[in-house]
Amino acid sequence: MALVLKNSSAALNQHSFSPYADNGGSIVAVAGDDYVVIASDSRLSTGYSIYTRDQSKLFKLSNDSVLGCCGCWCDVLSLTKLLEARMQMYLHEHQKVMSTPAISQMLSTMLYYKRLFPYYILNILAGFDNDGKGVVYSYDPIGNLEKSKFKAGGSSGALLQPVLDNQLGLSNIKEKPEAITLEKALNVVKDAFISATERDIYTGDSIIINIITREGIREEKLELRKD
Amino acid sequence: MSILSYNGGAVVAMKGKNCVAIASDKKFGIQLQLISKEFPKIFEMGPHLYVGLPGLATDTQTVHARLKFRQNLFELKEGTRMSPKVFSSMVSNMLYEKRFGPYFVEPIVVGLEPDTYEPFICNMDLIGNVCFPEDFVVGGTCEDQLFGTCETMWEPDLSPDDLFETISQALMSAFNRDAGSGWGAVVYIIEKDKVTTRHLKTRMD
Amino acid sequence: MATERYSFSLTTFSPSGKLVQIEYALAAVAAGAPSVGLKAVNGVVIATENKQKTILYEEHMIHKIEPITEHIGMVYSGMGPDYRLLVKRARKMAQQYYLVYQQEIPTAQLVQKVAMLMQEYTQSGGVRPFGVSLLICGWDKGKPYLFQCDPSGAYFAWKATAMGKNHINGKTFLEKRYSNDLELDDAVHTAILTLKEGFEGQMTEDTIEVGICDASGFRRLDPATVKDHLANIP
Repeated sequence: MALVLKNSSAALNQHSFSPYADNGGSIVAVAGDDYVVIASDSRLSTGYSIYTRDQSKLFKLSNDSVLGCCGCWCDVLSLTKLLEARMQMYLHEHQKVMSTPAISQMLSTMLYYKRLFPYYILNILAGFDNDGKGVVYSYDPIGNLEKSKFKAGGSSGALLQPVLDNQLGLSNIKEKPEAITLEKALNVVKDAFISATERDIYTGDSIIINIITREGIREEKLELRKD
Repeated sequence: MSILSYNGGAVVAMKGKNCVAIASDKKFGIQLQLISKEFPKIFEMGPHLYVGLPGLATDTQTVHARLKFRQNLFELKEGTRMSPKVFSSMVSNMLYEKRFGPYFVEPIVVGLEPDTYEPFICNMDLIGNVCFPEDFVVGGTCEDQLFGTCETMWEPDLSPDDLFETISQALMSAFNRDAGSGWGAVVYIIEKDKVTTRHLKTRMD
Repeated sequence: MATERYSFSLTTFSPSGKLVQIEYALAAVAAGAPSVGLKAVNGVVIATENKQKTILYEEHMIHKIEPITEHIGMVYSGMGPDYRLLVKRARKMAQQYYLVYQQEIPTAQLVQKVAMLMQEYTQSGGVRPFGVSLLICGWDKGKPYLFQCDPSGAYFAWKATAMGKNHINGKTFLEKRYSNDLELDDAVHTAILTLKEGFEGQMTEDTIEVGICDASGFRRLDPATVKDHLANIP
């Protein structure tokens, strides 16, 4: 008992090591049959300070795969750099560009490899699956992988996700119309971001949208409130 | 885990054109365990006056009882109904009395002002800091989700029918993404000459 | 209180069922300077005599008519010091009400609270009843209000009344002169006339005080305005 007390008081005197930062930011991705849309805001912040209003959180990995990352920005930089290197190695070994499902699996493995000292990042990967349909993969910081048609994450994840459920998943609506068009998906993504910006101080400034189709990747930008 | 989310639950209120709406889920749980699917969090305090008390379930009931106690004394003494504005001031004052040992509820008061039938909504934190927004108020464990849905779905001057649709969609979409609330919902639409109560069928998981 | 074992109420029933202390208090009121109040359709007026015994006295420094809130005012007949305490407590009660409800206290509510306080002083230990009767006037929700509050804690709603010295004559006079469709200016005139009944010496703006209450709130009339009103009196 005495030993325990001694140890615990010693622990109190130690300065705790905190290697993580939360730099905010939000990601939304929506997949259709022949397109995927992935968007992020461009604010990079810490607490009440803003580092920059113009930092995209989207990373183009190949001609049909884009990764959105937010959370601890230094981890984002490390992970994406490593990911690019691993993709380069794959290209050299197999003489072909990694498919989105292959990247999704490798990313999960890379995150789990750091199970005991994780990358503090929310990852959303958008691309096409092996059947050529749009797909969204989302991850927790230690590599749990979920495949879905739409996903929101980051500091505004809780605000954005139910909006997507309602507008794209049509969760509480009886008559389900046919597939979501690209135009509709873009509108929902923009509206959801505009709304989230009203209530979340870590999301704002502008959104960068990557629209991935078979023709390639197109970028759009939309200004958000700056306060 | 905060004591405010020990039992779970969500309440939302919105202003419309000459009407107001307040809605809540029906869950009563203890952390991850479900106890009841019929737990009221919204209470009628007058013909055009409702209060929602999301938070710790025991305090929901106690605060409701104590508010009714004070309101009854006031209405007998003064011989008039309490207006929403006066009622919310009283709620705020009662919560601040327990500033250093608070009731764990975040009340939402809605109603129509007497004489003018002006829509009224307000919410406050657990120690009685009041806010009177022009659009909507949210409270409970899926507050974040509700902010997201209400902010996208709400628009000014909704008719009673549109207001019902909006508040229902906002509440259901929000609590379906929250493990702390859900299991059925109730919606009150308050108009000058009638109050409509509707019970929603929702996902039960 | 247990620590004050000999703290009894002095207000005790006499064998005939009277509380003589209260009667003495009422006697103190009846001996005090007269005050009147009356309601008009668009307001209410209270007025009182404020006569000084010596020319050395500085006028218009200490007032008998006091505002309680923006829309409630008060005057008294009887003992000045007791009145000041009641003014202080009434103001505090009005502010406490405002603090809780964020709404001005209705006149009737304030009167009830003041009356409760006065009653407490007829039944508590170690105190005596107040030696004053109050006239409380107010304006809520487009209507004038006038109440009288006695040392016993009894209170009355009046259209017009008089208290203090000569109050019997004052009331008789008001009964003759009062009508339900009086305008505020006429009511001020009638109030001054009532005070003039049995007024000893010269009535000037320095020897009376007038307060009025209407939709814009309660205020004491300044001496110049009172003088104008006096000029209209024969």
